[in-house]
Amino acid sequence: MKAGRKIGTADVMKEKLLETPDKRRTDGVSQWSIAWRRFKKNKAALAGLIIVGAIIFIALFSPIIARYPLNYLASFKEENKIRVPPSSKYWFGTDYIGRDVFSQIVYGAGNVLYVGFGAAAIAMILSITIGITSGYLGGLVDNILMRVTEIFLVIPFLLILLVFLRVAMTIAPSGVGGLTTVTLMIGLFSWAPNARIIRGEVLRVKQNEYIEAAVALGASKWRIMFRHVLPNVLHVIIVLTTLQIATAILVEAGVSFLGFGDPNSVTWGQQLQMASEAVKEAWWEGIFPGLFITLLVLGFNLLGNGLRDALDPRLRE
Amino acid sequence: MAPREILKIENLTTYFYTWAGVVKAVDGISLDVREGETLGLVGESGSGKSVTALSILRIVPMPGRIIGGKIIYKGENLLEKTEDEMQQIRGKEIAYISQDPATSLNPVFSIADQLTEVIRRHQNVTKEEALKKAIELFRLVEIADPEIKIWNYPHQLSGGMKQRIAIARALSCQPNLLLADEPTTNLDVTIQAQILELMKNLKKLGMSMILITHDMGVVAGVADRINVMYAGRVCEVASTKTIFRNPVHPYSRALLEAVSHVTVKRVQPKIIPGAIPNLISPPSGCRFHPRCDFAAAECAAVVPQLVEIEPEHYVACIRAKEFMENVKEVKL
Amino acid sequence: MSAEIILEVKNLVKHYPLTSRGIFLKKEVGVVHAVDNVSFSVRKGETFGLVGESGCGKTSTARAILYLDPPTSGEIYFEGQEIGRIFKSKNHQDLLKLRRKMQYVFQNPYASLDPRMTVADIIMEPFVIHKHVPKEKWHNRLYELLELVGLEEYHAERYPHEFSGGQRQRICIARALAVEPKLLIADEPVASLDVSVRAQILNLLQELQQKFGITYLYISHDLSTVRHICHRVAVMYLGKFVEIAETSELFNSPLHPYTQALLSAIPVPDPENKRSRIVLPGEVPSPINPPKGCRFHPRCIYAKKHNCVENVPELVDVGKGHWVACNKVKR
Repeated sequence: MKAGRKIGTADVMKEKLLETPDKRRTDGVSQWSIAWRRFKKNKAALAGLIIVGAIIFIALFSPIIARYPLNYLASFKEENKIRVPPSSKYWFGTDYIGRDVFSQIVYGAGNVLYVGFGAAAIAMILSITIGITSGYLGGLVDNILMRVTEIFLVIPFLLILLVFLRVAMTIAPSGVGGLTTVTLMIGLFSWAPNARIIRGEVLRVKQNEYIEAAVALGASKWRIMFRHVLPNVLHVIIVLTTLQIATAILVEAGVSFLGFGDPNSVTWGQQLQMASEAVKEAWWEGIFPGLFITLLVLGFNLLGNGLRDALDPRLRE
Repeated sequence: MAPREILKIENLTTYFYTWAGVVKAVDGISLDVREGETLGLVGESGSGKSVTALSILRIVPMPGRIIGGKIIYKGENLLEKTEDEMQQIRGKEIAYISQDPATSLNPVFSIADQLTEVIRRHQNVTKEEALKKAIELFRLVEIADPEIKIWNYPHQLSGGMKQRIAIARALSCQPNLLLADEPTTNLDVTIQAQILELMKNLKKLGMSMILITHDMGVVAGVADRINVMYAGRVCEVASTKTIFRNPVHPYSRALLEAVSHVTVKRVQPKIIPGAIPNLISPPSGCRFHPRCDFAAAECAAVVPQLVEIEPEHYVACIRAKEFMENVKEVKL
Repeated sequence: MSAEIILEVKNLVKHYPLTSRGIFLKKEVGVVHAVDNVSFSVRKGETFGLVGESGCGKTSTARAILYLDPPTSGEIYFEGQEIGRIFKSKNHQDLLKLRRKMQYVFQNPYASLDPRMTVADIIMEPFVIHKHVPKEKWHNRLYELLELVGLEEYHAERYPHEFSGGQRQRICIARALAVEPKLLIADEPVASLDVSVRAQILNLLQELQQKFGITYLYISHDLSTVRHICHRVAVMYLGKFVEIAETSELFNSPLHPYTQALLSAIPVPDPENKRSRIVLPGEVPSPINPPKGCRFHPRCIYAKKHNCVENVPELVDVGKGHWVACNKVKR
């Protein structure tokens, strides 16, 4: 070391480091709080959040909100109460056997959300596990998992689902677990596209130098996958989950509409199916459940898009 | 007689309206480019030098907006022109070379297609004539085998070659003013030397040029005058020789002394403490004062204006007079 | 300066296969000769510079030494131990021990810090992995490290995006120091920083070297910073070393035509400089099919005279620890 190169700590200590005006603030601003700040500014996303929140509220407090008990037949006590148009007594009218459409929608909300959240949870657990292991480990594991994923991608998902549901119903006509079977089936058959997206995102995150820095520090594979990779793909997972819920709700409605749903549970799709017999005479019977499906799916989509915009690291700043 | 100005910017202000706040990227800068000269715009990242160039062409990306000032080109204010009129000026009158030559070329068209397209848009010539001109341009920017190379696609070319082509394209309509934004930053040293040599030769064509860079070494060889910028404002304007021999603004001096250099015997480059300020809430008064060794109490309160402290030498520092009196030559 | 050797690299080769994808298997269609038969040794406590233009193999060399990309062939000795054997044995304890001795500071401080972790989490992660600091002392050690690199205590709870480039590089250095390494590989640590901040980081590195006697392998394309910080310098061109010498020796009397051109190519911040510039013709050839003979011969003015198309020059000692690989230079 040459003598001329000697420097004191004083030089470094003298440095005034980048001083933001709020120097006294000691807690850091995480990217999540930044995302929330941005999300708040997005009106459409907030609308989505409100819609979803409202329907969750309806589902939670359905016995209070509903005006009549579950499956209460208005025609039971009064004459000619089948397919009555909307009135102050029956806000959305009554259906083909005289139930209050509004109350049935309220009771259905819980079932619809159950299928949506349940199926999305199953699909996401599968796609996250497969996406992250496949993307991070690479090599043979990646090769095998991705071929399996491709098989699931090329299966005509709706047809297989219908076949399975029909088989399940023939074996046990009362419905094996009813809605749970539908939920399980939807979950098991819809993870593949998300697994691919998550894998792609993992491959992107893996390129970052902070992953290599962790390798150089001696961190194990599992530590890197769960402490570094997972938190950095979490934003994608959140967005995919909201959109997956919307898809699952739509699929359930479709399946029920085709008559493959659980006949013992009230869902909006089922209400639609019954209404389809008399669209001309009793428009209210179908229009309101349809409206609610649209609203809920729209809500989740707005929420998902809003989250995507708020969380996308490329849109930072 | 004062030399004629081809471009004069007065009080240009360009802000970026981001979700986090208003970024005051360019905050009231004034400068002028004279006919036939090369003006070096020197500053670090965030000094506003690139945004100035984009403002001249009025291609500031969203969410940026030019909110004030005048950009007078050949006696006309560019900020009052319509978009159609600006399109006639871009490329033909004022050309632009970006820092990253790779992204400025379209990967699906051959170089010949892209060059002749530019030539034919601004000049009334046939395809064959345009191609001939393009090959001439290739010779001008010293590309070997122009007849063959011109049919290449961008991915077949190296970074240095792409930058030559970007220069060729900028020159294709004989612009009067060339804006070169860090033209050599992404290139290797030996390739940078080639491009700088080329740019020196291009000065003979007689056009004016604004050379934007953070590297004092690059401007030293090419520029006639230098404009030092810091955090969206101009600190010092003078001839290249004056900036290097007699810098007055503490930032210009610090910038020169901070460079450790191969040819320089100085062992210890000077440390400029701190970091470049945040432009959403920049320091009050002189923006350099928190990092300045000579800052007085008023520096935090008074915004210094550019003052001519000697002929052709402008400094924005309230202590400039003091420094002038006991200025010591920076030994290089 | 002790002459004790801490790192020795012998005949290091790193080839990257170019592959085309099949359904299950990849097909090799070519080879990138990133590093070809490179040997050098780094002395304890010194700063050894590795200089060259982009694509010359300097980063590949560093990554091979750390086994981020295992070398194709060749041996690397760290404190006399052949490290390839440790990596191949998969003995987790030995591997951790080795990782503690060598650390890496990356070029881009914006990509080398996990954006979802606070500074405290980032700097304390090595403690979690290596368990070399008792848990009750973690925070003390964290604040010590922050102070060491010139950061404040209140920075600990912040996230990387709240810092400037120079400060992020300080965080990276603190993380590397947390394991008390013997060798720090710094890959262009100041290249992405602003001029006014570069000197701060370089001085910090020098100061840390004085305090702890850490050895640096400093990789850069920027000869100015190399001159400032390195004791010895090796110049790389297209995967091979062309010249190794003490810093002052290399800058005052470069012998290889490539080194000469590289030195003269740097623009001088002096408008009246009349130094003639050697402008090399052409560009660096592709490392997929490197030129035969001396790899520099297509751009070298002396190539014809010495028949460099065929004669492969070896690194030869010309005295004072100055090694050159050029047919023009004879002992």
